[in-house]
Amino acid sequence: MNVSKNVVKLLVAAGALAVATGAAAQSKGQFTVSVGANMLKPDVTSGDISAPALPHSQGDVSKDTQPVMVINYGLTDNISIESAIGTPYKHKIYGAGAIAGTGQLGTVQALPAIALVQYRFFSPDSMVRPFVGLGVTYAMFQKERGSFGMTALTNPGAGVPTTFSIDNKWTYSGQVGLQVNVTPKWFLNASYIKTKLSTDVHFSTGQYQHMKLDPDSYILSVGYKF
Amino acid sequence: MRKTSFALALLTAAVLTACGGTSPSAGDQTPKMKFSNQITFGDSLSDVGTYAVGGVAALGGGQYTINGNNTSVSPELTGKNYTTLVAAQLGLPTPCAAQTGLQGTASAGFSVPVTDHPECFNYAQGGARVTNPIGPGNKALDKPGAVSLGQMTVPVVTQIANHLKKVGGKFKGDELVIVMAGGNDALEQLGELSAAATTAGGTALIQSLVAQLAPGTANPQTGAGAIAAAAQAEALKGSAAPAIITAAITAAAQNGNTTAVANAAAIGAKAGADATAAGNAYSAAHGPDLVKNMATAGAELGVLVKNQILANGAGYVIVNNLPDVSISPSAKAQSADTQKLIAAMVDAFNSQLKAAVGGESKVLYVDLATVSHDQATNPGPYGLTNTTDTACDLTPAKNPLGSSLVCNAKNLKSGDVSHYMFADAVHPTPFEYALIARYVLEQMAVKGWL
Repeated sequence: MNVSKNVVKLLVAAGALAVATGAAAQSKGQFTVSVGANMLKPDVTSGDISAPALPHSQGDVSKDTQPVMVINYGLTDNISIESAIGTPYKHKIYGAGAIAGTGQLGTVQALPAIALVQYRFFSPDSMVRPFVGLGVTYAMFQKERGSFGMTALTNPGAGVPTTFSIDNKWTYSGQVGLQVNVTPKWFLNASYIKTKLSTDVHFSTGQYQHMKLDPDSYILSVGYKF
Repeated sequence: MRKTSFALALLTAAVLTACGGTSPSAGDQTPKMKFSNQITFGDSLSDVGTYAVGGVAALGGGQYTINGNNTSVSPELTGKNYTTLVAAQLGLPTPCAAQTGLQGTASAGFSVPVTDHPECFNYAQGGARVTNPIGPGNKALDKPGAVSLGQMTVPVVTQIANHLKKVGGKFKGDELVIVMAGGNDALEQLGELSAAATTAGGTALIQSLVAQLAPGTANPQTGAGAIAAAAQAEALKGSAAPAIITAAITAAAQNGNTTAVANAAAIGAKAGADATAAGNAYSAAHGPDLVKNMATAGAELGVLVKNQILANGAGYVIVNNLPDVSISPSAKAQSADTQKLIAAMVDAFNSQLKAAVGGESKVLYVDLATVSHDQATNPGPYGLTNTTDTACDLTPAKNPLGSSLVCNAKNLKSGDVSHYMFADAVHPTPFEYALIARYVLEQMAVKGWL
């Protein structure tokens, strides 16, 4: 919430700077860093929790927005490589399907590491440069936290809280984006990344669940060319 | 130089992901809602040991399931029913029977003084009905000469009254009240219907024999009397149809019916068919009464929940409806028509119950009928491996009561029965009880009660 507001402020500030001069380059050998926010929104297709469970017991995963730093390097005037670092995305897990309405049953942190190769259209001195990218992602999950509700639904009254873990996965991502060079040094960056991600959830009760998360990532950042 | 920086950035990302306490853990295990107590009214499905005394305890029993903690044999064999599991999950004291005792045969250990336990709040008793004080296993239903178990079968209406008496007439409002009944109203009535149909069949059998055999006797009038008397005498001994038929044919022959013996097979077959037809006709004629009676019982339970539980201040009342008895091994052993009748009885009970309490904001109506039906038809996702056979070996040699009340690890059927649905003809295994507990808790979560 606050992050989003701060991003807006930054963008406004950058917009003011943009008045200064015409666009210059992002070109071969150039290194850029932009800072902003990334909203990571899983597009969940949940499998059913394995027996013993109410048939079609499923899960849903909430979106989260975190600050992000996007680092980009121009291999040529049109081909660049990009990665991003950021704080972990905190996702809430809700009951869905047959157990819809049971509320928040757990939380998990996601740490997607991504490396993209991009093609940037037009010449480095264009004001607006759309780009497309393709890359590899390593989706890492940590701090999987159960809850009273999760235990109640899976192993009630045994005095053994249910825990779960989510498999880390290598996968691939596609990207479309737009860079607006507002000054020779400052730019705005917007990109959308779709990642194909299927993983498995393992519960301490011996149950498991296949989850297609296929997250959508929306990045808005303000950058500087070094 | 710049390439080095980029590599460094990637390295930073990697380092960031590696730090911190990142492994899975239980999270917050405290419920948002804190109930003060669990108070249960009902029958064997909620009973936590009313009859776990005397001979029943000596036989290693006391609850209507696979008794005892046998988790060393299989983790599912906890010996706990759903009320115990729900209480444990909610952090409430382990429920105990508000009354214990037995009123049966002393020599079998089934006569134990009836004792009230003021510190216990599970009033559910095996055999209990909604308002009728005589349920299955009650001494009032004893057959002469047979060993009597002598269950008290205190009905739900009295269970609630006993609780109110104990606590000064009012609920505090923060208790979790659980109500589940109706099964014994169904079983007792089915038993009575079956007995009456058998009687009707027996009468028809003798009538058919007389009608077939008397005309061939020397004096049809005396012959009829003699045949009827012989058949009735045999029936009074408790004999089955073939012996009664033989007695009638013998009497007919003695009274001058020369074709009786030669035609015995055909005469017997017709008499048997007439008897079966009469029994079925009786069942068909009186089945609708049972459905009507179950509707009445369901409505009565609804009124009890409203007028005795809610009206006296209860704030959280779980009303479990009657599971689908028609899928139980007890019902499956009966004719298709009887199974249909049982299904109609369950429906009638539940519709009236739901109509009475379904709209009450302080009531959570849990539809176990639908879930149990689904479990029987779609057992896989529930983890059930068998929904038709009993896990307990109910043969007299292994189980003198023929009931899960005295079933434990020592008199189970061979093989892995831990994921069976039924312990005996109508009662769940601990695994099925755990499934019920989960469903009740799931419904509580949806209702916002967890």
